[in-house]
Amino acid sequence: MAIGQILNPSAAMAADIAGPGPDAGVLDGKVVGIRVDEIWRCWDQITELWANEFRAAGATVRFWRCSQGRTGAEGERIAASLEEFLQGIDIALVGLANCGSCTGWTVRDAISAAHKGLPTTAVCTENFVELSQALSRRGGRSGLRLHILPYPLNECDQEQVEAVAREHLPGILQTMGAQASAVLEQAV
Amino acid sequence: MTVTLQAGSGPQPEQAAADLRDCGPQGCDLDWLSSARIETEVDDVAAFSQFALEQGWGDGMPLIPPTEARVRDFLGNGNRYADELICTLPPQGGECTVEKIAINAVMAGARAESLPLIIAALEAMAHPDFELFGQNTTTAPVYPVTIVNGPIRDRLDIPYGHGCLGGAATQAAAIGRAIRLIMRNIAGQVPGITSQTTFGSPGRVAGVVFGEWEERSPWAPFAERRGVKGDAVSVYGTMGTMNVLDTVSQKGHEFVEMIGKSLAYPGANGLTPCMPFAEILLAINPVWAQIIHRDIPALEDVQQMLWERTAMDAGHLTARHREQLESLGRVSNGKVYVVTEPRDVMIVCCGGGGGLHATGFHSFGSSLTQTVAIKSGPDNKQEKT
Repeated sequence: MAIGQILNPSAAMAADIAGPGPDAGVLDGKVVGIRVDEIWRCWDQITELWANEFRAAGATVRFWRCSQGRTGAEGERIAASLEEFLQGIDIALVGLANCGSCTGWTVRDAISAAHKGLPTTAVCTENFVELSQALSRRGGRSGLRLHILPYPLNECDQEQVEAVAREHLPGILQTMGAQASAVLEQAV
Repeated sequence: MTVTLQAGSGPQPEQAAADLRDCGPQGCDLDWLSSARIETEVDDVAAFSQFALEQGWGDGMPLIPPTEARVRDFLGNGNRYADELICTLPPQGGECTVEKIAINAVMAGARAESLPLIIAALEAMAHPDFELFGQNTTTAPVYPVTIVNGPIRDRLDIPYGHGCLGGAATQAAAIGRAIRLIMRNIAGQVPGITSQTTFGSPGRVAGVVFGEWEERSPWAPFAERRGVKGDAVSVYGTMGTMNVLDTVSQKGHEFVEMIGKSLAYPGANGLTPCMPFAEILLAINPVWAQIIHRDIPALEDVQQMLWERTAMDAGHLTARHREQLESLGRVSNGKVYVVTEPRDVMIVCCGGGGGLHATGFHSFGSSLTQTVAIKSGPDNKQEKT
């Protein structure tokens, strides 16, 4: 046995922003941008229901749908489309982190929104909380707002999913830092 | 050799500059190695391996302690500066310097001569179109395979004959393992934390590093077909290997039909709605390759025929799958294809002379294969396709 020195084989993480960024505030008059994907049916159903509630609170809602094909010419097209989408919204709601690679893209797109100064919330399912947090930290935004939905979710039927959406409405508003009393009163 | 570096010494001839990078086991007066020093057991491999596991650096197999002397020796043989930044690797965004590569390569047992190959492979993997972020975080078992072309295959003993995808006793396993340790320690790919891989894969331990048997291939070398001649690596993100056995076919089109049809199964990433496009890689043994080439001379025709035979009747899929694929425009004349274009069927020639088998590598999906020239030093601009 001999004690000596070895060199650390690991690399340090990037600098971090630990704050959550600005609150969404009053929804009335604002544009809420909702990022959806081409994988999760349940996320379409949830965001459709939430969008109606945001509209009831006076917000305009814009959806932006993307695929996992974020490379090559298709990747360039999607990147440009994301940039355009982020330019046209006041609040970003980004999901769904419900698998490994789609959590990666959800967090990366959310970080892109947060870096633009937008009030940003990423949405994940329970099974992908740790990954979402780990990727947020590694992306330099450990304070990224994260709302957690139950898991498994995509395997549920539409009625069950919509019940989850209604149940999580107060929670998502709170995570977003949104003031939308009209929404909550209506929901109640 | 111990060298004292002096400021303002001016440009050096190439060989002298290379010598200056070798500060030997005793080190330089100016320390080129910036990694933190950690006191631990350095002679007992088992004790160090246990320590490395506890630190989160290990893969469960024995590791060589990366002492300063070993790392300096490793770097001393190459024409690279320790602080040269090769790339950053996701999801951690870790800075992958030559020094960090050397430390991990020493731990894996890779030879110093393999440094240019490892660097080229990492450059290729770091290209945004390779989507390493997705590969390192996904629930899938995907891992990059590294295909080596050019004379460097023989210099580094990279296998391209019997057992080339695993089992041949060569340096390829240590090179592949070095890359895997870099994924863990620099990219930050850790199962259960950043990687959500449901099952993982044997290929995530020591990778798959193999050569193309260019001398027996009827086609131009794979990297050359992708625009890079000579020593080169191509990296491809695969879900794993699938074997195709054929003891019956005799003609080229028969082999092509058997291989193509074998590649089509509903759960392949390329056939699922979560991926809008994909590539597929095929390793064809030299015996079949010669027969296929004899009967179908143009490689483009082979790709076209293989592509057509990967088609699956959309009616074979469940209604939900079919509907989602239709919404993506992936169903054409009632058929779904593993890849959207024939050119995305990629073929390499390798494997033992016994023939009888092909290997299919289904892709992760949106990761696009990258090919990079292997260069000995930092001064030559890297070629990428």
